[in-house]
Amino acid sequence: MASFRYALRDTFRLLFRHWGLSLLTLLTAASVLYILGFTALFAMNIRYIVSRIEGGLVIQAYMKRGVNADEALATVKSSPVVTSVRVVSPEDALEKLRAKLGNQAQAVTLLGENPLPWSLEIQVQRADQITYIVRDLMVLPSVEEVLYAGKLVERLSTISRVSGTVSGVILMLTLIISMLVIFNTIRIAIYSRKEEIEVMMLIGATKTYISLPFVLHGMILGAGGALCAILGLWSTYTSALNAIRSTLAFLDIINDRWILTQFFSFLFAAGATTGWMCSWLAVHRFTSMSLRPR
Amino acid sequence: MDIRLSGVTKVFEPDIVALEDVYLSVDSGEFLYLVGTTGSGKTTLLRLISREYVPTRGQITVGERNLRKISSVDLPYYRREVGVVFQDFKLLPNLNVVENVAFVLEAMGLPPKLVEGRANEVIDQVGLWRRRFLKPPQLSGGEQQRVAIARAMANSPSIFLADEPTGNLDLRTSEEIMRLLLSINAAGTTVLVATHDQYLVDAYRQRLVELHNGRLKRDERRGRYFVDGEL
Repeated sequence: MASFRYALRDTFRLLFRHWGLSLLTLLTAASVLYILGFTALFAMNIRYIVSRIEGGLVIQAYMKRGVNADEALATVKSSPVVTSVRVVSPEDALEKLRAKLGNQAQAVTLLGENPLPWSLEIQVQRADQITYIVRDLMVLPSVEEVLYAGKLVERLSTISRVSGTVSGVILMLTLIISMLVIFNTIRIAIYSRKEEIEVMMLIGATKTYISLPFVLHGMILGAGGALCAILGLWSTYTSALNAIRSTLAFLDIINDRWILTQFFSFLFAAGATTGWMCSWLAVHRFTSMSLRPR
Repeated sequence: MDIRLSGVTKVFEPDIVALEDVYLSVDSGEFLYLVGTTGSGKTTLLRLISREYVPTRGQITVGERNLRKISSVDLPYYRREVGVVFQDFKLLPNLNVVENVAFVLEAMGLPPKLVEGRANEVIDQVGLWRRRFLKPPQLSGGEQQRVAIARAMANSPSIFLADEPTGNLDLRTSEEIMRLLLSINAAGTTVLVATHDQYLVDAYRQRLVELHNGRLKRDERRGRYFVDGEL
């Protein structure tokens, strides 16, 4: 317990003795984590919008005349990617047509016998899964025709894939940058106390005792940077949300407090963990080298 | 705590032989002077005992511990049993006398009250009570040496190593330092002092070991710096 108190005291000494460097690291970590958070939020929203559109996409499979939909229904139900399937009988289809025609509904009677076939309305989880279902249906002898928004599906899949890859790359880059910045700051702090650490080792201080203030220093910088980034992101996102609501009301972006709280908590944890890991690595390297017998 | 060196050789890269085939036994509670010219291997021997260095050949045992086999986890605990006064003091310039001494006790995880009490006790013992809030640059060479001694004795070590503790000090201060080291020894601590100071070695006669070019040249109980007839 006493050791922890000394470590806390030394952590604050480190923070304030090199306050300029600490502030610079905090701001750099905040900027990098802001970019990281912004990219992640952007990717999450693209994914959210795409999934909302995908969820509304319907595949319509029409059977041959006089053939019911049992065979196609069995095929579709065996697929795990299908979220819902509805069987539309010729009678239901005719009712639908009548409803659509409105005042001209009388024209349907001119057809005589109901010419409409059995059909299925299928919904899947993701746009890129549509092609597989369509392929499976097309080979069935009972299926006459399959209709779906082919081009839209392809575009949505591409947007989803590209935005995922780009944001993944940016996330990795920003994470590496923030790690390097914190790692180097701690290294400078260690070198400024090199003599002190060497004396500590010679008089019998353990590696944990020596490392703890540096590790806490790194964690505080990482967590502090994350906190600043969260505040910045919160303000940017709220403004963006209000602007989109007033100008692009049809665009459905994430506004769930629970999702956003989870995301910001994750960003905070990422900042603190990065700080902890980098400072531990820097101080561990130094102490291990110093303890190595000559 | 006793110290045993058996066939110890230390070679620094590429081929500087600092110590060669040294056999030495120091019993628990003994006082020993290490004398010899510059480069004779005195500091290397002390650093081998404090386990800053490991021997190229041979074995060193301190108490039950074989220093070659000591792990990096056990090393700090071993070093707490060895108080070292470094040739260049190694005091931290931004800490005052109390903080410099307390620093050792804090590193051992002792509670603040105990740290403060013990630090004040040893500072009083070395006669620096009135200067306890000054920082090393504000102290004289002799006072800095005393802070280094206070720091080394703060955790009551079993072995006390002092490298040139009276180097560059006037005679009166040197004698005070010597008396301090003898009082530490009187409390049962094994003391090894590397020195050039002929006057003190002859005035406070103890066991004397002389090194010459890394080899043990002389080992005498109550020896004089100069062999009789050499003067």
